[in-house]
Amino acid sequence: MKYAIEVRGLVKSFGEVRALDGIDLGVAPGTVMGLLGPNGAGKTTAVRVLSTLTVPDAGTARVLGLDVVAQAAQVRERLSLTGQYAGLDDGLTGEQNLVLIARLLGASRSQAKARAHELIERFDLAHAASRPVAGYSGGMRRRLDLAASIVRRPEVLVLDEPTTGLDPNSRNGLWEVVRELVAEGTTVLLTTQYLEEADQLADSIAVVDSGRVIASGTPSQLKQTVGGLVLRLRPVRPDALAQLRDLADWTIGASVREEDATLFVPVAHAGEATALMSRVSQAGVDLAAFGLDEPTLDEVFLTLTGHRTGTDEKKTEVPA
Amino acid sequence: MTTETVTAWTTRRGAFAQAASMTARSLVSIRNQPAQLVEFVMIPLMILLSVTFFMGGQMMGSWQAFLDYAGPSIIAMGLFFAITATGLGLFGDLKSGVFDRLTAMPVSRFALLAGRVAADMVKHAWSLLIVGGVAFAIGYRADGGVAGVAGAAGVMLLFLFACSWTMVLVGLTAKSEEQIQTWMISLLMPLAYTSTIFVQKDTLPEPVQWWATVNPLTSMADSMRVFLDGGTPGGELLALLGWCAALFAVFVPLSLRAYRRKLTS
Ligand SMILES: Nc1ncnc2c1ncn2[C@@H]1O[C@H](COP(=O)(O)OP(=O)(O)OP(=O)(O)O)[C@@H](O)[C@H]1O
Ligand SMILES: [Mg+2]
Repeated sequence: MKYAIEVRGLVKSFGEVRALDGIDLGVAPGTVMGLLGPNGAGKTTAVRVLSTLTVPDAGTARVLGLDVVAQAAQVRERLSLTGQYAGLDDGLTGEQNLVLIARLLGASRSQAKARAHELIERFDLAHAASRPVAGYSGGMRRRLDLAASIVRRPEVLVLDEPTTGLDPNSRNGLWEVVRELVAEGTTVLLTTQYLEEADQLADSIAVVDSGRVIASGTPSQLKQTVGGLVLRLRPVRPDALAQLRDLADWTIGASVREEDATLFVPVAHAGEATALMSRVSQAGVDLAAFGLDEPTLDEVFLTLTGHRTGTDEKKTEVPA
Repeated sequence: MTTETVTAWTTRRGAFAQAASMTARSLVSIRNQPAQLVEFVMIPLMILLSVTFFMGGQMMGSWQAFLDYAGPSIIAMGLFFAITATGLGLFGDLKSGVFDRLTAMPVSRFALLAGRVAADMVKHAWSLLIVGGVAFAIGYRADGGVAGVAGAAGVMLLFLFACSWTMVLVGLTAKSEEQIQTWMISLLMPLAYTSTIFVQKDTLPEPVQWWATVNPLTSMADSMRVFLDGGTPGGELLALLGWCAALFAVFVPLSLRAYRRKLTS
């Protein structure tokens, strides 16, 4: 089997909105794919189709070779979902949540308890295990949610924005767990709005916008299209912008962008930025401010689509 | 990393065992928040007390006489209002992420729905125990004794169980909480007032009398009355069983279909 997850021409509409407009994806077994896209791109819809919660209008999706519509029951046996909104019962304690999942999956009472305790230790939740989930912090909730998804270790794990709203510390912790799972052989598909997250975890990235994959490849391939870094230059006199633009002409950035009297120049590496800076000072352009930034999702989008995230269509968020 | 316990549980428990786990899940949340135990007794209790004391005297001369005639059916009626909780609970479950997780797991759809209904039945039984106790305390006595009371309680709970499945369908298809309440009131009120719950059949207007005879609440109220008077119900109990069978046969499949439909929408 070439792909653990294989998606072809997936289409799903909600009334007028085409949430998925012909998505193609292929995730090799034992690897992580990052689905990167802004609000309303169709990430959750794609995830719901893969986890058998939504039936597509057209196209096919296979998980471990099994069709998610025709063989939904078998897919559910082997894939596990951590949804965008925590799939936990607020009225139960952390431990009771895990025990319930284990029991539903066929564990005996004692097996369920043992497994719950193991996960509670592993996810560092021992101090809160006997408290109702309603009182958990966002980070604890996310950890418990992920724990609940691996009560029985899935062959394929789907994570929908696993770290949105988490502080950097909790985020790192969660990434660590995902890496461990991958090391144990699990195939992971995760959606995110953060380029950095995709960069940290994913072996391959698919950038989605308006229900389509607009770019895909390894993180470094993508970064090359976007430019590894972005040099930000703000001249003292706004009329020097055109001159700066000319100076930046030779960099990889075909998509030099101007905003608020500031020029954003994609560069391949820090060396290129230094070279450009020295040309700027030789030319005698006075800078009020400058800086070197990681490209944001916005920049990726600008480069790939020529428009900023979400500016072409007004989309409203509807919880599924 | 620590060595993991074997997590490939290959023996899948059956749908009913899964339903039992789901039932336990709803009941455990009561243990975590015991105040709920008081909350769901309040509505049937208030209905019993207010109807008996404020309307009973006018309708039958004295509230004691009214309690004797209508007490049990008013308790039943109060519990009927509580089946809305099944619809509301399911609606809430579906909106939260929990059911997304459970639906994406290899778990029987029937178990997910039945677990909710079964847990609510346990709550209804608890309400019945408390409200029945209050009725006893203010003077209600049954000629049928313990056996009669048990028979009547059984009849009531069976019918509640069947009717809860209508609420499952409502909970799965409703667009909002208000819609569920509206459905409940608009179904139950007319049913209750055209049955023998509050009044004897011959006091109803002529055209309504025919309907009152086939009304399932009449069958339930009459079966309960016969049990409580120490008799053994015949025709009315058969009619009620027929109604229950029909409700199961219609609403369980419709609910499962509505659940599947939710996936394709
Ligand atoms: N159940 C639904 N009913 C109606 N429209 C929907 C539904 N689910 C999604 N949509 C619409 O489909 C589009 C894609 O939504 P989706 O939730 O898949 O995006 P997303 O990439 O997950 O966004 P976010 O980052 O905000 O979670 C949006 O325009 C959304 O409004
Ligand atoms: Mg989403």
